[in-house]
Amino acid sequence: VSTFDDMVDREGLDAGDEARLRRVHDLLVQAGPPPDLPPSLEHPPTAPAEADLVQFPLLPRRRWTLGAVAAAALVVLAFGGGYLVGHAKTKATSFAAKRVLPMHGNNAVALLRLAPKDGAGNWPMELELNNLPTQPDPRAYYELWLTRNGKAIAPCGTFRVNARTTTVRLSVPYDFKRFDGWVVTRQAAGKHDPGPVVLTT
Amino acid sequence: MRLVTTDGELIERAATGDHSAFEDLYRRYARPVFGLALRRLGDRGRAEDAVQETFASIWRSAASYRPERGPGAPWLYAVARNAIVDRARSRGEIPSEIPDTAADAPGPSDRVEQGWVAWRVHRALEELTEREREVVALAYWSGLSQSEVAEFLSIPLGTVKTRTRAALAKLSEILGDDLQ
Repeated sequence: VSTFDDMVDREGLDAGDEARLRRVHDLLVQAGPPPDLPPSLEHPPTAPAEADLVQFPLLPRRRWTLGAVAAAALVVLAFGGGYLVGHAKTKATSFAAKRVLPMHGNNAVALLRLAPKDGAGNWPMELELNNLPTQPDPRAYYELWLTRNGKAIAPCGTFRVNARTTTVRLSVPYDFKRFDGWVVTRQAAGKHDPGPVVLTT
Repeated sequence: MRLVTTDGELIERAATGDHSAFEDLYRRYARPVFGLALRRLGDRGRAEDAVQETFASIWRSAASYRPERGPGAPWLYAVARNAIVDRARSRGEIPSEIPDTAADAPGPSDRVEQGWVAWRVHRALEELTEREREVVALAYWSGLSQSEVAEFLSIPLGTVKTRTRAALAKLSEILGDDLQ
């Protein structure tokens, strides 16, 4: 980079102005060039509200559809259609879910609700479990995991159930795009590796 | 005196759902955010994702901005920093060189200071006219001498120097207290 004296016409500049311009010159040198924006970023988002949607694991569409239908059928069978309608109203005010994922297993179902990421970078989640067996062992528990290629990879929180319906709130800081689904595992006392899967998306 | 809408005013308007204010913020900050993300992540694809995430966060959390706590640029920097740190963490990296806040106090390293300086300068460049930006880019980052810039633009050398001075003066006005 040429020197300030080479680059700027200083005629008529008073000392104060020249000092400020020299400071700008130094900052430009220090900052370096701004990057070229890629085409994908040239225009502002036209519908920023859509960006509010949670980007959650990209399940294959067919698998997602089958899972949703299966889970919905199980929920209806277990609780009747009135449950869903009545319950949805109360839940809407208690947890600002942007996305709901059904989970299913043997006679058990769950709804995993995802809220937008908070200011600290955490994704609040609410997991409502129905018909999951209670644990006779007081030290046993269940654990929610994010999966990659179907394998439990990232722990999302542990919990116990003691009723036909149990609702727990969890929060994780992960980038969901790195994963492909969730599972709930049954964890024996003292075992920290993923146990048998009891619910899956 | 510059009669432009401040960043803080745009954030407050965006908090009320004003899309045009959000778009103005994007025009001012897309390049600084992308530059910061590129410097930290070193990957254009992930930097693009970080920019998208940053502006989604701005839209979501604009209501949390408190003008009495300071101007908009440091708040925007903090939001961008969080989005970029998220990206870095997703690859198991420890994002150490991006400061938690855009404090005026000297940073723990030259790299920290470098990021904040680039953020402010690149933001200020967005307010120059196309012609002013062109002469600054050629003079500072093209590797051309002033005579070569004059030849490239087909204008006299004196005009190059005059335009450079005018651009620096405008940047000085935009950067304001940041020059202290």
